[in-house]
Amino acid sequence: MSPERGVLLGETVVIDDVGPARRGRAYPTIGTTTALLLPAALLLGGLVLWPVLRTGHASVTAEGDFVGLEHFRTALADDGWSVLGRTLLWAMVVPTVVTALGFVLAAASRRSSGGRIVTLILVAPIALPLVVTGVTFRLLYDPDPERGTATWLTGALWLGPELITIALMSAFVWAWVGLAVLVFRAAFDALPLALADAVRAYGGTRLDVFRDARWRPLLRRTVAIVFALVALATSRTFDLILVMAPGSVIDEAMVAPVRVWQTSSGTVTGPSAALGVLWLAVVLLGMLAAALWTRQAWPPPAPGAPVRETGSEWRAPRLVRRLLPPAAAVWWAIPFVVLVATSLHAPRDAATRGWWTGPIGLASYRELFEGGGLTRSLALTAALAAVVTVTVLVVALLAAYALAWVSPPGAQAAGVVLLGAAVVPVQVLAGPVTEVLDRAGLAGTFVGLALVHVALGVPFAVLVLRNALADVPLARVRRARLAGRREWSVLARLAPATVPAVVAVCVLEFVQVWNDFVVGLHFGGPDAVPLGLALYGQTRQFVSNSGLVAAGSVVASVLPLLLVIAFRRQVVGGLVSGALR
Amino acid sequence: MRDRLVGRRTLLRAAAASAATATTATTAACGRGGRALEVAVVWSGGELARFREVVRGYPEPVRVISAGDNIDALLRARDRAGARPDVAILPRPGLVAGYARDGWLEPLDAALGERYAPAWTDLITVDGVLYGAWVKAAHKSLFWYLPSVLTEPPGSWPDLLAMVESRAAGGGPAPLAIGAADGWVLTDWLENLLAGFDDEQLYRNLAAGEPLWDAWQVRTALAALARMWSVPGAFPGGGRRALLTQNEESVIQVVASRSACTVFEGDFVAGVARQFQDEAPRTFRFPAFAGRQPLVVGGDAAVVLRDSAGGRDLVRWLAGSDAFRPWIASGGYLSPNRLVPLGLYPAGQPRELAAEIREPVDRLRFDLSDQLPGSFTGFDGQGVWKILQDFFAAVTTPSADLRRAVDDTVEQLNTTAKKATA
Repeated sequence: MSPERGVLLGETVVIDDVGPARRGRAYPTIGTTTALLLPAALLLGGLVLWPVLRTGHASVTAEGDFVGLEHFRTALADDGWSVLGRTLLWAMVVPTVVTALGFVLAAASRRSSGGRIVTLILVAPIALPLVVTGVTFRLLYDPDPERGTATWLTGALWLGPELITIALMSAFVWAWVGLAVLVFRAAFDALPLALADAVRAYGGTRLDVFRDARWRPLLRRTVAIVFALVALATSRTFDLILVMAPGSVIDEAMVAPVRVWQTSSGTVTGPSAALGVLWLAVVLLGMLAAALWTRQAWPPPAPGAPVRETGSEWRAPRLVRRLLPPAAAVWWAIPFVVLVATSLHAPRDAATRGWWTGPIGLASYRELFEGGGLTRSLALTAALAAVVTVTVLVVALLAAYALAWVSPPGAQAAGVVLLGAAVVPVQVLAGPVTEVLDRAGLAGTFVGLALVHVALGVPFAVLVLRNALADVPLARVRRARLAGRREWSVLARLAPATVPAVVAVCVLEFVQVWNDFVVGLHFGGPDAVPLGLALYGQTRQFVSNSGLVAAGSVVASVLPLLLVIAFRRQVVGGLVSGALR
Repeated sequence: MRDRLVGRRTLLRAAAASAATATTATTAACGRGGRALEVAVVWSGGELARFREVVRGYPEPVRVISAGDNIDALLRARDRAGARPDVAILPRPGLVAGYARDGWLEPLDAALGERYAPAWTDLITVDGVLYGAWVKAAHKSLFWYLPSVLTEPPGSWPDLLAMVESRAAGGGPAPLAIGAADGWVLTDWLENLLAGFDDEQLYRNLAAGEPLWDAWQVRTALAALARMWSVPGAFPGGGRRALLTQNEESVIQVVASRSACTVFEGDFVAGVARQFQDEAPRTFRFPAFAGRQPLVVGGDAAVVLRDSAGGRDLVRWLAGSDAFRPWIASGGYLSPNRLVPLGLYPAGQPRELAAEIREPVDRLRFDLSDQLPGSFTGFDGQGVWKILQDFFAAVTTPSADLRRAVDDTVEQLNTTAKKATA
């Protein structure tokens, strides 16, 4: 890592020499390190590592006997290759579009009048549960021109077999562009302005300025980061497909996550394990490539106060600045309007008329809360998100503290392992994890759901917190060591320095659990129906239920929307820092 | 699969209590040393609420667990965890037979079987032993229409075809609405045609997953469907649009937006129609296709899981004459139980359907796709659902080669059957 680490390690000797013997050593002993890492290791070992190994084993065996590649052949027979191909297509096309749009919109809306409102509208979709995004776009693309605005405008059957993938991708792009805008905005703010003047002073053309003063120092890497983040996120198309694609076209929209889920139905089967292994291999390779590609170079754009330098600002042409941001904001706001307007119609009107017609009222909301089912789901989800967030924070902080002082080869290895654990798709783990939970008698319970969420959330949280701890200024570490008697008190003294990272972890984890659908679908049960699953249940007969579904979606979106908008700087900082180093 | 079907169609109703809400409830405070009897069901939403009302009448506390879509997964998980419920209400006779052979179930008194017509009892008798008691039935051979839109309901298959052709050409509302986005709607159509043939053995063998789909009866039925579905203008918005229409939306097309004259599906359509239209739709029977009036049914059977102390008494009570009185009163319920007085049903259509279903004049046929083995039984994008959706897409394409579509479908069905039973 940084040369600082060497200095730190060098100086620890001094601390040891100066401090009273009982103060312990500068970095945790092997015993303490083990104890600190134990909770995270147990969770990841039991609920991530073992399930991955079990899946790998199941992919080449049948009832204990080695069968070679037979399961792989079965999985790839029929349309297996095209499913994998479509999965890869998602991972290439969607990030390209999101990155390009995000770049352009960030440049155009930067320091423009009304830029804040535009940013707010663009960022809001990030916060929504993906199930809600699916609901929104299914309303927009309803094949009946009297209800579906997009169908009315274009006359095309967007949910039909030919266009379904494009319809799904458009929903995904809508949801993710805001993140790209935020990251690019931070990158633009961090651009070294004097560099551009220097290039110009040496007679550089506009192109030279862009290449040498903007692209090379920072933007190339930012583009890579955004691309990698979005590519990784495309494995979450699962939620969108299950909500948006009618049963008759689900095959035309099929990607690996849905196929693995469909063919395993909660248990471990050979062919689904084989497809899962292939898919996991692609994800891990992609992650490694991204990690290598984005390594070195400049530090990531620091969120928060940008350094004001003197020099010429980089700004988009005026016409673009004037027109593009408002146009984008209006375009991005349409789905919100459709969702909210639909929810304000009584169930009967919502199912039979357009969202722009008829009397409005709160009948759908009233009916939504009848019977208490939704209230129970809301309470359960809130409790789940709170418990998981606190647990993840504690477990991750301990592990991060232990890992923060590890020196280069070990640090990188730990980083790669954690990043790997953070990107393993839930569907690949589902069968074996169900077996583990069954054995513990926790399948379909609140505790079971919480455990899975914690195991899935810990790797990323450790990465973010480890980076934050490693960034604490040397002097402060030294003061903490001198004052703290035991490891935990050193940690307690260092913790305030990591507040932004802790906030990021808390918000991200809380929103992640609140917005979850996949974990709830795989590991929920009659006694534990989280919000995402409850909403999905209502979408199964979509049109007749659209008023209730829309109302439920609005209710489910309020809290994550407020959280993400209030803490958007920390969230982006956390995402970028966790994904990067 | 019917269990999924149930999940689906019920979800809407009291959708608020979103299906899954599946939360459990105990009736009354827990007596009996604190342990209530446990019943696992597939119902959710409104149906779940009504079943809870039913068990409130039982003298002991009963805890109802809604398994949602997949009761098989729930029971297997509970079995592994050593926490089997006392009673399960299963939506498919195939599950009853499977569990009975695995030794999971307690046999029931043969006398209990006499409460149902033999056609019903046979379905849940395994090797001469009765393992279940029917508690609910679905009638799946009905067409629905508004009398203000369609004045003369067709009485025979040729009449129906003639109505489809004339209305399709007439420019008014389309003759048929169909929820082809839900594969089970299409399998229900085919089953009603197959049930029109006398060859019951064939139906049974097909249901068992045997690759006999190139039988002439199947070809004739598919050809008849192709003939009717391929009529231009048969469906509102055309065939591509119909493939994006779900069952409940197809009901809306008939009763609310009135873009279609009739829709075929089971007795549960009444509940959907009630939400969207004040004029109650009427029904006519799915017309006889090959000489026999079809009666395709679905049903839910209660079974007692092994080693349950109080399960047997509960099932005997559920199979009594009075247990389901609250559900009958609130509508949307048919029982195959002959002890239930017909007078309890609202006069008119519900009473007629109940009478027909409990004493089938001719032999009834249980939903075929619900009995198919393994991956052959449908789900979104899978099995027989997907095959029939492809068939539907093929025949509704303008100037389609219908004969070829039938050939392809028969071949697909046979291939999938072989794969599923291999």
